[in-house]
Amino acid sequence: MTLLQLGNCVALAYSPLLIAYRRSSLSEYNAFWRCVQAGATYLFVQLCKMLFLATFFPTWDASVGVYDFVGEFMKSTVDLADLVGLHLVMSRNAGKGDYKIMVAAMGWATAELVMSRCIPLWVGARGIEFDWKYIQISFDSNISLIHYIAMAALVWMFSRYDLPKHYRLPVAALLGLSVYKAFLMESAINIFAVGSWTALLVKALVTGGVSLSTLLLYISLVHGN
Amino acid sequence: MEIEPELLATETIVPVYFALEDDELLSIHEQTHSASVSQGTSSAAEVLLHTATANGFQMVTSGAQSKAISDWSITSLEGKLTGLGGEDLPTIVIVAHYDSFGVAPWLSYGADSNGSGVAALLELARLFSKLYTYKRTHAGYNIMFFVSGGGKFNYQGTKRWLEDNLDHTDSSLLQDNVAFVLCLDTLGGNDDGLYLHVSKPPKEATPQHAFLKELETVTSSRFPEVKFSMVHKKINLAEDMLAWEHERFGIRRLPAFTVSRLESHRNSLRTTIMDMRSQVDIQKLCRNTKIIAEALARVIYNLTEKGAPEDLQIFTEQMQLQEDQLSSVLDWLTAQPRAAQLVDKDSILISTLEYYMNRYLKDVKRHYVKADKRDPEFLFYDQLKQTMNAYRVKPAIFDLLLALCIAAYLGLTYLIAQNFGLFYNLVRRITLKQKQH
Repeated sequence: MTLLQLGNCVALAYSPLLIAYRRSSLSEYNAFWRCVQAGATYLFVQLCKMLFLATFFPTWDASVGVYDFVGEFMKSTVDLADLVGLHLVMSRNAGKGDYKIMVAAMGWATAELVMSRCIPLWVGARGIEFDWKYIQISFDSNISLIHYIAMAALVWMFSRYDLPKHYRLPVAALLGLSVYKAFLMESAINIFAVGSWTALLVKALVTGGVSLSTLLLYISLVHGN
Repeated sequence: MEIEPELLATETIVPVYFALEDDELLSIHEQTHSASVSQGTSSAAEVLLHTATANGFQMVTSGAQSKAISDWSITSLEGKLTGLGGEDLPTIVIVAHYDSFGVAPWLSYGADSNGSGVAALLELARLFSKLYTYKRTHAGYNIMFFVSGGGKFNYQGTKRWLEDNLDHTDSSLLQDNVAFVLCLDTLGGNDDGLYLHVSKPPKEATPQHAFLKELETVTSSRFPEVKFSMVHKKINLAEDMLAWEHERFGIRRLPAFTVSRLESHRNSLRTTIMDMRSQVDIQKLCRNTKIIAEALARVIYNLTEKGAPEDLQIFTEQMQLQEDQLSSVLDWLTAQPRAAQLVDKDSILISTLEYYMNRYLKDVKRHYVKADKRDPEFLFYDQLKQTMNAYRVKPAIFDLLLALCIAAYLGLTYLIAQNFGLFYNLVRRITLKQKQH
């Protein structure tokens, strides 16, 4: 039942988005078009990143099995552009703090989902053979959603002019962690050689930790004064 | 090797595939085995869960339906060394079939049967052509070498070659004065038997008898570990298949015999896919070839009558039999499967054999056999080699089960999202309380 498997994966991947959209009452603000704009910004930022990577980073023949830490670190640094993009989206939307965050995160996550997960699922999950990795891809997109919400919140907090001094450090640290999260996950997988389900679990835990800390900081910032 | 003849004899509706065993195949086998075996011993719930989650395999092959190949040509090669001294010289013919047989044609390499025969024939060709280049050792016998195809299919190559040479041509070496025909079949295994199969015991004072005597002399004086004997079997025309290749010549009234290490033609070693290069003992093959070469030389040069001692070594020093040569020829022969359905007239095997024979023999010619249109003696089919892919599939129940789990997970997420406000307020209260302290 190959189409059923595809249906499973798609439902797993897209439904949390729908739920988040409905729940966060974004529909009251007619935010749909804004989300689409955020998605377009995502595409633009990815394109710039790719051009930058292709131009400035030489393709060195990495030997198989040796994980090129320095190279991957440099490449992850380019992901800082993501933060710039998020900031751009949020500054263009007037409104309350959490409205901005949600719009940016929703648009960003949807665009990422469509671009990077659609094709593997369409091509792979429809085949005769069953593989757990498609379910894992869909789970991963759920985790990414949480991750992007946390990242958008952090960027918003960072850009506030009334941010107290002692908040700067934890916010910056969390920002750095979220940007390099992918790199850290890859290195951990390579060093410890964990299975795919364990890696997913670790990713979920890390993202959960980051988002929880973000939530704490956000609450104390918004409601503490 | 016992299953193989039975498999060949049974008729099946579905194709049967043979593959070499490796780790992945073994793991597929284990998984399917464990999936089916556990149903008797565990509880109902376990069985249900097991049926829902077990790994099944779907095998897909890429080929089409097997069709009969029309116009298949079986190729044979002949070459000769002309004797010294005008017309009407007696001829000795040395024959070996090059094709192999097994239950799966692409897996039948036929190392001993009959790769060893061909290797021995080529080595004999090399030695005698070397002898014939010098005038002093150029004997008064013509030697013909015939590498025949379709041997495992009742010696089709030899049959048609004989018809063409005896019935349709005006003059051929086979028509005039044939001393004897020596067929080589399976000489290279790990045992010490050597048999001369005849359909009629040779009469005294004939070249056949001389050859038999020389074989006995050589084995008894120089290779006592070899148990040599003559096996007499009458040609039985009522049977479907002829026993040995010499019977084809016997039917046409040419004196012939087959040398083999096997005592019976029914030995399943001659028609098995298990006949691989590792089964052949090169030293024993070399020894058997040497016995044949020495006996032949003694007949051709009439050494016993001239009083040569029984243990005279003819092929020594630079005329030495080269074991390495035999070994590499056999390696090359077993590098590809040589079933008769796979060797067509453009195949590399034939051209290499032709080239090799051209180095030592003269008048190397090809001979083709096509099946008769109305009453074919043989019919070959194609699609003998296929690629099969195994896909790991889960039963349909599994997908439904997974859908249920995902629905439950999504329901949970929805509930969390609905009640996120509660969580938010809780965290707010906790942090504010902390701040106040």
